[in-house]
Amino acid sequence: MSLAPSSATYLASAIRNHSPEHESFQKFYEYWLTEQNNHLQDLISAANSTPDEPTLCSLIDRVLKHYEDYYKAKAMWSKHDVLAMLTPSWRSSLEEAFLWIGGWRPSMAFHLLYSKSGLQLEATAGSVGGWLKGMTMARDLASLSPGQLSRLDESQKKTIKEEKDITEKMAKKQEKVAGPDMVELSHLVTERIMSQGEPADQTEPNRVESVLVPKERGLEEVLQRADDLRLRTLKGVIEVLTPDQAVHFLIAAAELHLRLHEWGRKRDADHSHH
Amino acid sequence: MMAGICCGVVGEGEASAAIEPSASRTLKRRKMELLTYKFIADVAVPTPVAAAATAPVKRQKLELELCPSKTPSPRECEGGGSVESCEARANKDAKYNLACENSTPVLVAGKEGSQVEDSKYGVTSVCGRRRDMEDAVSVHPCISKQEAGHFYGVFDGHGCSHVAMKCKDRLHEIVKEELESEKAASSSYSSAQWKETMERSFTRMDEEVQAWNDSDEISNCRCELQTPQCDAVGSTAVVAVVTPEKIVVSNCGDSRAVLCRNGVAVPLSSDHKPDRPDELLRIEAAGGRVIYWDGPRVLGMLAMSRAIGDNYLKPYVIPEPEVTTTDRTEDDECLILASDGLWDVVSNDTACGVARMCLRARKPPPSPPRSPGSDDAAARVVADSVAESSNKACSDASILLTKLALARHSTDNVSVVVVDLRRERQRRLS
Repeated sequence: MSLAPSSATYLASAIRNHSPEHESFQKFYEYWLTEQNNHLQDLISAANSTPDEPTLCSLIDRVLKHYEDYYKAKAMWSKHDVLAMLTPSWRSSLEEAFLWIGGWRPSMAFHLLYSKSGLQLEATAGSVGGWLKGMTMARDLASLSPGQLSRLDESQKKTIKEEKDITEKMAKKQEKVAGPDMVELSHLVTERIMSQGEPADQTEPNRVESVLVPKERGLEEVLQRADDLRLRTLKGVIEVLTPDQAVHFLIAAAELHLRLHEWGRKRDADHSHH
Repeated sequence: MMAGICCGVVGEGEASAAIEPSASRTLKRRKMELLTYKFIADVAVPTPVAAAATAPVKRQKLELELCPSKTPSPRECEGGGSVESCEARANKDAKYNLACENSTPVLVAGKEGSQVEDSKYGVTSVCGRRRDMEDAVSVHPCISKQEAGHFYGVFDGHGCSHVAMKCKDRLHEIVKEELESEKAASSSYSSAQWKETMERSFTRMDEEVQAWNDSDEISNCRCELQTPQCDAVGSTAVVAVVTPEKIVVSNCGDSRAVLCRNGVAVPLSSDHKPDRPDELLRIEAAGGRVIYWDGPRVLGMLAMSRAIGDNYLKPYVIPEPEVTTTDRTEDDECLILASDGLWDVVSNDTACGVARMCLRARKPPPSPPRSPGSDDAAARVVADSVAESSNKACSDASILLTKLALARHSTDNVSVVVVDLRRERQRRLS
């Protein structure tokens, strides 16, 4: 049985072969983007028609599962090469400039929601009366209820707190780069190179390895926590929303992600030509 | 700290669709309590207007029953309130909130019993697009034993949130003490007396904040309560005390109170900005300077000319409020108190228009003829539903104003309190 290439089959084969290579995550990511684009089309047509709730829910589940797969794959590749995952070459430099610990900043989810909700609310606002109608009748994000807003606000505060905690964790890891072990070893190796003319890559390779490996482990742990927060935040927002609203939120998320990627790609291409 | 600081949308869940047996039971019980409550008030004093005219003795007695210390817990902002639990429960049963989808959770809303008039309000307070929550809101019905007065306050902190939180926790108590220390009932207060009382309250509030700063109380604030950073923490305070006859607004800073009267926005406070001509003169007379640094700022630092706290900018920045006393009229619709997260992007007129529309949109059911002594239950239900639709309307208004502020790219915390000022008769008519 042969399956069409997809991020899932790609992930499965990478797991089987025990060899998640850096290049292969790039491949995985390309498949994943294509699928995201397909999901976006499904979401948009769902928003434009009136499918029954079970249909909507299964679509939302499918999209969320797709995000889950992405983070599963990322976790797997991180174990293999966390540094590559923190400086993702498959992202454009535009996206990279806005990364927080190898991905999107979790608190962005709430800004995305507020922005989309605001645009949809303003769209109903031909008149003051329109706002009220939009607020209560709309099937999109203009209709956020008091209870929803309250839960989103709580969730936003929790997310920001966790985000700050993880940022602190990262700060500690970064500061430790200048710890005594690193300073001592870099001095020792420099001396050997300078005085004895040893080639840099052959000086104390084991000691270098023994100092660097735990640092990578530490980074992997931070990245794992950051990715976990990203996925939880996304799911948390969806959980507060009605299926109708969730569809609109997922559309906004995919649109922003895909277009940013393209704009960045185009920019990178333009710059490399000059 | 964050969780403690941040106000959620305050609320009491009232799901129209039964969500889950235990949840709806709780709601029903709560409703029953309110009904009983209302019932007493109704029997004794048929209408609020009439109540104002009834003999003081009678009112006094009622007060004992209706404004005791066990008055239903003041609905302060404690993050979410029961709206949250209502939906959270629903979520267990249905994914994506299916069960709650058609329900109308009320953020509410005050319906605190009082012998004269219920306090009907809606509160929304969100972090919005800022990373820190420094707004605080406090609502306390029946703050004075002598006279029915409801207390509403919005505090927008800067530097850290602890001064705003202190104001939220303490200012209503201070105002209450000050009112009780007066021999005269506040109903007979002149504007000058109100002004004095409120000024004393604000001064005491400021002193408490200072004393607290000086004490070694352990805190886990963002500012870590270290002087001099701690001296650079303050808060705006806009407070409205609403009695059956008057609206007393005391303001210090750039939060604002706006009265919606017959569709017209009447500001009851004037923002304390450093470039307000009289404020500029006052600051300069005290030896201070206003420097333009990302807008006018006192000594180039604080973008408001009065605040609670901010020791480092005294005596240029003062905690003295400006107090306005407004007689209530039949044309009064609602009072809006909000932080600049709202006012920066929504004009007084628009806010008024939105709030008014929300109040008018929720029409109470037509009231059946009421004959004295009969059909108490029906009367109760009607009275209850009138109050309820008003609360919902206030919540609608506060939530819509908040959403509007977010839609218009407000970058600050947004806190909005909407108080229904319509008399019972008006409510039925509108």
